Amino acid sequence: MSDWYYMNVVLIQTTLTTLLLALSIQVPLRFGVFSFAGVGAFGVGGYGAAMAMVHLEWSTWPAVLAGTLAAGAAVFVLGLVVQQLSGLYMGMATIAFTLIVSVVAVNGGDATGGAGGLYGALGEITMTHIVLVVLAVVALLQWTEMKGLGRRIDTVREDPELANALGINIAGYRQMSFLVSGLIGGLAGALTTLLRSTITPAEVNFHLVIVALTAIVVGGSRSWIGALIGAVIFVWLPTVLSFVEEWEKVAYGFIVAAAAIYLPTGVLGVAKDSWHRFRTREERARVAAALQETS
Amino acid sequence: MQDLLNAATLGSIYLLFALGMALVWGTIGILNFAHGATFMFSAFIGHMVSKETELPFLGVIGISVLVGAVISSLTQLLAFQPILKRSKSQHAAEMRILIGGIGVAAIPLALAQRETRSSPFGFNSSYKSEVFEVLGLRLTTTSAIIIVAGLAIGVGLTVWLRRSRQGLALRAIGVDAETSAGMGVNRPLLAFTTMAVAGGLAGLAGALLTFHLGAIAPETGDQLVIKAFAIIVLGGLGSMLGTVIGAYVLAGAETFVLVMNWGTWVDAVSFGLIFLILLARPQGLLGRKEVRRT
Repeated sequence: MSDWYYMNVVLIQTTLTTLLLALSIQVPLRFGVFSFAGVGAFGVGGYGAAMAMVHLEWSTWPAVLAGTLAAGAAVFVLGLVVQQLSGLYMGMATIAFTLIVSVVAVNGGDATGGAGGLYGALGEITMTHIVLVVLAVVALLQWTEMKGLGRRIDTVREDPELANALGINIAGYRQMSFLVSGLIGGLAGALTTLLRSTITPAEVNFHLVIVALTAIVVGGSRSWIGALIGAVIFVWLPTVLSFVEEWEKVAYGFIVAAAAIYLPTGVLGVAKDSWHRFRTREERARVAAALQETS
Repeated sequence: MQDLLNAATLGSIYLLFALGMALVWGTIGILNFAHGATFMFSAFIGHMVSKETELPFLGVIGISVLVGAVISSLTQLLAFQPILKRSKSQHAAEMRILIGGIGVAAIPLALAQRETRSSPFGFNSSYKSEVFEVLGLRLTTTSAIIIVAGLAIGVGLTVWLRRSRQGLALRAIGVDAETSAGMGVNRPLLAFTTMAVAGGLAGLAGALLTFHLGAIAPETGDQLVIKAFAIIVLGGLGSMLGTVIGAYVLAGAETFVLVMNWGTWVDAVSFGLIFLILLARPQGLLGRKEVRRT
């Protein structure tokens, strides 16, 4: 067990940070907001944390906090600006935001290190820290998926008019989803950067959007469990299949496209559906048996 | 003046590229994110073929247009058509089509990156661009061809969409797909043809840009999708004339940024434009406000 752990410590870290990144896109999706701003937040958070460490010589956790808050604030403001956009327009505007982050990083001069990026921001982050952070985030999200709050969020996504009629403040919920998305994305960026000690503008690119999308689309977009399934599949598949390692990006393209066509609710959705079907069948059989007995 | 000419060349490339996207999005309601990958991969296949044998100008163009049309119609057939068939609402379909398009776009990009190791590629062609002077301006034959082709196809497509019966049918789908189907419009067939035409235009733009610059990088396509989105939003969805204007406005703005020596900010122009337009005038310059019951 411990051998296995030491051999794969990097992969476990990557799984957890990928999970955070995926969650940052999944949160707005659960509110019916088609936003990719979480990936931009990843860049803001990463740069924020790295700049705080390199230029201001802050220690690890204040730097992470600074990056996270900066990303949260940036995405929240973006949310206020783009909130009246719908569907595709929102999606493309947030992709544009994500790409602007890297353009700004290239042009940041000494502050962001230009096209070469920032180096030497090695934080003191252990596995325990990451696990604790991820657990805290997941606990928060689990709370939003349960009971009344979870149902209200589902209503905001599935039927905004009904939500409105029920007295749910849709705009408020959506703004909140931007804030949470920015905070989680920023956290993912800050942790990833301080673990690797570098960040470059080239990292905040379109591939990162695909990474996050793959994890959610494959796993399931309704619950953090889906994002976890997706992150695990995404990070560990290449190590299991060497074939996938060689054709990694091609395979991910296929997976995203196929999942969009055949599995709109992801692995988790399929599992839940079949569980439901199984339960219904059992229930029906029980009722039928009971009816036969009485007649 | 020389800068204006450069802007016109760049604008014509943008136009050829954005026209296909605007046509598909404005009529059959598909925002094809794989359009950029189609553009890049058509030029890439041209590069691969011309590596084997030297080709004339028209040969390369022909191959690229054909490849573009094939990729685009395959995307429609294998990805978008099944998604549309399986989606309950238009809204859900839109998102799945965008995600599916992003997935499809990743495939040719990864293939080309693997083959070229992410370095730019060009054509091995017998065609040599010549420079001649008009009114003291330096104009290459490639630029001239690009500008003429861009304007001709742009105007031609606009007129065709307004005047012809097929154009009417396409616009009808854009307004109300169900009613137009009831009126006897064969939506799947028209959608398929439209995608093929759009793909052909992407292929043409890809080949022309590669001739113009000498080489393009595999990643060029992704940026172009965002730029084309900016152009369509600027011009107004559903308005071909708006797309024509938008393409030249964006090219002009970018050339201006380049001339002022703010070169590294060029990509921010289109992204900033998207924000500005979406906030100030969401329906675009020439677009009509979308009427949709939600």
